[in-house]
Amino acid sequence: MSQGTEQEYMCKEEDASIIVKDVCKSFKVYLDKGSTFKEKLLFSNRRRYEERKVLNGLNFMVKKGEAIGLIGHNGCGKSTTLKLLTRIIYPDSGSITMKGRVSSLIELGAGFHPDLSGRENIYTNAAIFGLTKAEIDARVDDIIAFSELEEFIDNPVRTYSSGMYMRLAFAVAINVNADILLIDEILAVGDAAFQEKCFNRLKEIKSQGVTIVIVSHSLGQIEAICDRSIWIHEGNIREQGEPREIHRNYQKYVRKKRIEVEEKERARRKAAGEKKERNYGQEVSEEQKKIDAIRDNDDKIVSIVDVVTEDLEGTPRGIFTTGDAMKVHIYLKAYQPLEEFYINVGIGRFDGVVAQSIHMHAEGTKARSLSTSGEADFTMVIEDLSLLPNLYFMDVAVEDAEDHELDYSQRACRFETVSECIDEGVVYLKHHWE
Amino acid sequence: MKDILKEIYAYRQMIFSLVKRDLRSRYKGSVLGFLWTFLNPLLQLIVYTLVFSVIMRAGIDRYYIFLFVALVPWIFFSSSVNGGCMSIIGSSDLIKKIYFPREVLPIAYVTTCFVNMLLSFVVVLGVLFVTGYGFNIVALCYLPFIMIVEYLLALGMALLFSALTVYLRDLGYAMGIITMAWQFLTPVMYSSDLVPERYLSLWRLNPVTPVIEAYRAILYYKEIPQMGTLVPAVMIGVVVLILGEIVFRKLQKGFAEEI
Repeated sequence: MSQGTEQEYMCKEEDASIIVKDVCKSFKVYLDKGSTFKEKLLFSNRRRYEERKVLNGLNFMVKKGEAIGLIGHNGCGKSTTLKLLTRIIYPDSGSITMKGRVSSLIELGAGFHPDLSGRENIYTNAAIFGLTKAEIDARVDDIIAFSELEEFIDNPVRTYSSGMYMRLAFAVAINVNADILLIDEILAVGDAAFQEKCFNRLKEIKSQGVTIVIVSHSLGQIEAICDRSIWIHEGNIREQGEPREIHRNYQKYVRKKRIEVEEKERARRKAAGEKKERNYGQEVSEEQKKIDAIRDNDDKIVSIVDVVTEDLEGTPRGIFTTGDAMKVHIYLKAYQPLEEFYINVGIGRFDGVVAQSIHMHAEGTKARSLSTSGEADFTMVIEDLSLLPNLYFMDVAVEDAEDHELDYSQRACRFETVSECIDEGVVYLKHHWE
Repeated sequence: MKDILKEIYAYRQMIFSLVKRDLRSRYKGSVLGFLWTFLNPLLQLIVYTLVFSVIMRAGIDRYYIFLFVALVPWIFFSSSVNGGCMSIIGSSDLIKKIYFPREVLPIAYVTTCFVNMLLSFVVVLGVLFVTGYGFNIVALCYLPFIMIVEYLLALGMALLFSALTVYLRDLGYAMGIITMAWQFLTPVMYSSDLVPERYLSLWRLNPVTPVIEAYRAILYYKEIPQMGTLVPAVMIGVVVLILGEIVFRKLQKGFAEEI
């Protein structure tokens, strides 16, 4: 079961630690906001705003001791959900019930005063989380030990490095002993060793039966801690269930979305009649300059007009999934009939690592010829584009039978690959384990 | 209502630490430091004494004491309302990022002002003693009571205005002139005998009037304040506080979005 229904994850209300019921939330986006009396009175017509619906009848429950991750693309409503759980903002309709003390690792170091010492700031900061003096007294040693700032604890916080500052703030927040812990983009704190410590602490807290809600773009972290992922999409739950499965579906969606965006952008550029920018912002190399000089020369007999990547249906595309088939269309313009010539194609990663240089002549492909001058196009099909997700460029050259270069176009076109595969390198070698 | 009180009580340490921070940082960096808390009212008193017993002689016996015993509580009230109305906006960082009962901010602000008034009263009582003006011990027993009543009144106003100011920033700027006008409508610099008969009932609607009159009765006239003054004072204090809290609760949900 990859996709849980809502009912499947509903439990009895008395077992739930967080109950979110039919929550709707919209924000007013003021086009011209005025909050002084004059503006409110005189320019009431100017106070136009657009109502932007962020959450649209959101429903979920979190059992006591369960850890859930909220995922979704930017603006899907996951951070708004977390803010609602924190009670910084309130829903327009629907209800949210939180049972027990809530601590949030959302804004670390709230209320820190630079002139006060680390120890004094522990007291202020913990007080903001609703701890009493006695409770703080009982925890202060743990907090200091966790932050590893024993030597500096009585120095003013303004003398701390930003890493030390965050360590102290994190130490306070995680030692509040809450029943519910809300976390936004965790573990971007301190060095790798400290991050690991925080991560382990989080697991420990979870094992103590604390309910945890995490919003993060790091799907790996969610998989490591959470029992369930909730994918929020356009203000509602799209899928929920076992994190790995949900994340796989989510990533598939993200890739699809990217391809759509990329293609739309391409179409827009084309419609705008924008000139193809051949070097994509890269410096024109000396070599290319020389070639360009030849190009502009009158004795040039052929030039590369355009190189377009397409899918098998012949639709121009700039983004491919690893393993897709790709058609490369090379448009040439001949200034005189050409008896015998070859086309070479070089494919390389954006950083210059060559994936493959295809030499038509060397591999024994029959030479092409053009009996008249004018434009002509040639197609090469790559059956299996086994390139790992990255940005790639294609160089194209035309040579005569003696391997003399007739024309050369560096970075003639650009394309991107996406994939579920997170392996590193250039080429995806098909493999299996026995 | 009970839940709200319980929650605010749970956050008492936050109130306490905010008050402590404000008091400690107020005179930070000055040579005399915390001494200014006492020096300020004392110097004020000297100025009033000079002006009103040498230059502008009012027809009231020992006018500087008459004025001062009312001015110190008035300053507490006006600064609570004046500064208190900015207490939410001034902490927008906290409001936008973290949950706590929002009442904590105006409560902490008013409490800071209250502590400052108590410290000023050390000077007031000291002066009454040193100058030989003396005081009535029995009447003095009513002083803490009337202070609490004024605290409730000031807190109610601070809750009301701090919440309103979030939605209407002008209030923050207008508050200075409002409290100034308010001061002249309150018997701080004059006694209520001066008010024309036909305006008296209207003038009496001012909720601060009975409180200020009670202070003056205790310290200047050395009398136990009359029941006719005390009962309305308590009632008004409680009503304003409840009203302020109701408005505050209604408005506080939108704070993070409006700030």
